Amino acid sequence: MARGTSPNTFRAAQRPAGTPLGHAPHLHVVGAEARSQAESAPRLHLDNVTVRFSSRAVPAVEDISLSIGRGEFVALLGPSGCGKSTLLNVLAGFCSPTQGHVHLDGEPLTAPSAKCGVVFQKHSLFPWMTALDNVAFGPRRLGMPDPRRIAQELLDTVGLGHVANSWPSSLSGGMQQRVGIARALATRPPVLLMDEPFGALDAQTRSLMQEELLSIWDKLRPTVVFVTHDIEEAIFLADRVVVMQAFPGRIAQEFAIPFMRPRSAEIMDSAKFIESRREIADIIRIEARKSFR
Amino acid sequence: MRGVLRQYASTGSALLLGTAGLTIFTGVWALAAANLNNEVLLPSPLSVVYTYAELLTDGSLLGDVRASIVRVFAGFFIASSIAVPLALILAYSRVLRGLVMPLIALIRPIPPIAWIPLAILWMGLGDPPSYFITSIAAFFPIFLNSFAGGTSLQQEHVNAARSLGAGPVALLGTVMLPSALPMIVTGLRIGLGQAWMAVVTAELIAAQSGLGYMIQISRLSLETSRVLVGMTVIGLLGAVMIGALGVLERRVIVPWNNPR
Repeated sequence: MARGTSPNTFRAAQRPAGTPLGHAPHLHVVGAEARSQAESAPRLHLDNVTVRFSSRAVPAVEDISLSIGRGEFVALLGPSGCGKSTLLNVLAGFCSPTQGHVHLDGEPLTAPSAKCGVVFQKHSLFPWMTALDNVAFGPRRLGMPDPRRIAQELLDTVGLGHVANSWPSSLSGGMQQRVGIARALATRPPVLLMDEPFGALDAQTRSLMQEELLSIWDKLRPTVVFVTHDIEEAIFLADRVVVMQAFPGRIAQEFAIPFMRPRSAEIMDSAKFIESRREIADIIRIEARKSFR
Repeated sequence: MRGVLRQYASTGSALLLGTAGLTIFTGVWALAAANLNNEVLLPSPLSVVYTYAELLTDGSLLGDVRASIVRVFAGFFIASSIAVPLALILAYSRVLRGLVMPLIALIRPIPPIAWIPLAILWMGLGDPPSYFITSIAAFFPIFLNSFAGGTSLQQEHVNAARSLGAGPVALLGTVMLPSALPMIVTGLRIGLGQAWMAVVTAELIAAQSGLGYMIQISRLSLETSRVLVGMTVIGLLGAVMIGALGVLERRVIVPWNNPR
C-alpha cells in the first residue's frame, strides 16, 4: 500500500486516506460498498451541498455528498472553520445550501421541522420556562396529547425528574444540556442533530454525558449527527466518523468505528481505541497542514 | 432552615441600618432647625409632623396625592401602550427602524419640562397637559429598554423553537415577547420613576391641584413646612411605587431572572 493513499478510499482524488507510516490501518476506511448500504434507504441524504456566505471568499462547505442511514450515529469531526456546524445548520433547515440538495426520508428538506431535533452548544434553553415547560414546548406546538407527562417522562429518562420545576438558570451546565437533549427528543424526531453539545462542559461532566447519551440513544435509537472537534468523543460515540477539512469545508475521510455496543468508557483505554485515535489524528494533521499553506 | 434564618437576619440588619441612617438624618435636621430658629427657612421635623397631621385631617393631602397619582398612571399607561409595541416593531423591522430611530434620537434629549409651554398652548391648564408631560417623561426609558429587549433576541432560541415546530405566531408569543420581557419591565420601572418626577414639574406650572401645585402654592404663602410635607410625600410614594414594581417584577413578571 503506497504511503498516503488507500485503495478503498472513495473518490481518492478528493479524499486521500493518508495511512500513517508504520501503522497498519485499524479502522475501516468507508468505501463505496459501505456507502451504498446507507444509500439504499438513507434517512438523510446530502447531494453535492455547497454553502457560500456572501461575506467570505471561500465557501464554508463545498460539494459535500453524504448518506446517513436509519438509526445510524454519525460524528462530524474537524477543526474549527471546517464547516461542520454549517453542515449541521443545513441539516436542521436553519440555513439553505447555495447549491445541492438535502433530503430527509426522500423528501426535500428546506425549513426547520420537528422531524429534526436539535441540541445546541449552550444557552439554548428558554430561560423564561421551567425545565418541564422547555421539554413540553415541542409536544405543545405539535398538539401531542398530554405534553406535561411526555416531558416528565423524558426528564426522568435523563435523570432530571427532580428538577422539573426549576428555572434553567438554576441548573448546572451539564443539567442544562440534559434538559436540552430531553427537549430535542420530546417530539420523537427520527433525527437528532447535536452541535458540540458537550463542548462547554468540564472533562468529568463531558465523559458522564457521553455515556448518558449512548444509553439514551440505545433506548430510542434516533439517527444522530453529532458535531465535535474532540477525536475521542467522536470515536467513543459514533458508528461512523466523518473527518472534515477546512477552507473550503469538505469531507476528508470517513471511518467506520468497529467497537461493539453497548459501549462503556473503559474502551477508551484499549489499544484499539488509542490506535484509532492516532489514525484519525494523523489524517486531521495532514489536512490541517495542507490548508495551512 | 438556616438559609431562611440567614435571610431574616440580613433583612433585620438592613432594617436596623436603614432606621439608624434615617434617625441620624432627622437628628441633624432637628439640630440645624433649632440653631437656625427660623420656621420659614427650615422648619423643624416636629412642625413638619404637625403639618402632616393637619393636612391629613382636613383631607387636602389625600386629595393632592390622588390627583398626582392619577396623572402619573394616566401618563404611564399612555406611554407604555405606545412605547412597548413601537419598540418591538422597530426591533424586528429594519426599514421602520431606519425611518423612526433618527427622529427618536432627536426628540429624546429634550427634557419633559421643555414641552410644558407647548402643552399649555395646546391643552390649557388642568389634567391634559400633565398627562402629556408624564407620558413624554415615561416614554423614552420604556421605549429604549423595550427596544434593547427586542434586539437582544438570541438566534439559538429562535432556531430551537422553529426546530420544535413553532410557526411565526407561536414564535412571537412564546419566544420573542418573553425574551424581551425582562428589559421591558426594567423600562417600565424606570419610566414610572420618570413619570412621577415629571408630574411634580408639570403641576408646578400647568395644574391647579396635586402635590406639585401644593408645593408651589405653599412656597408663595411661605408655609415651608407644607413644602416639606409635599416633598417627603413625593419621595415616600415614589419609593413605594418603584419598590412595589420591583417586587412584582421579581415574583410575578420575570421570576426566571431571579430564581429563589
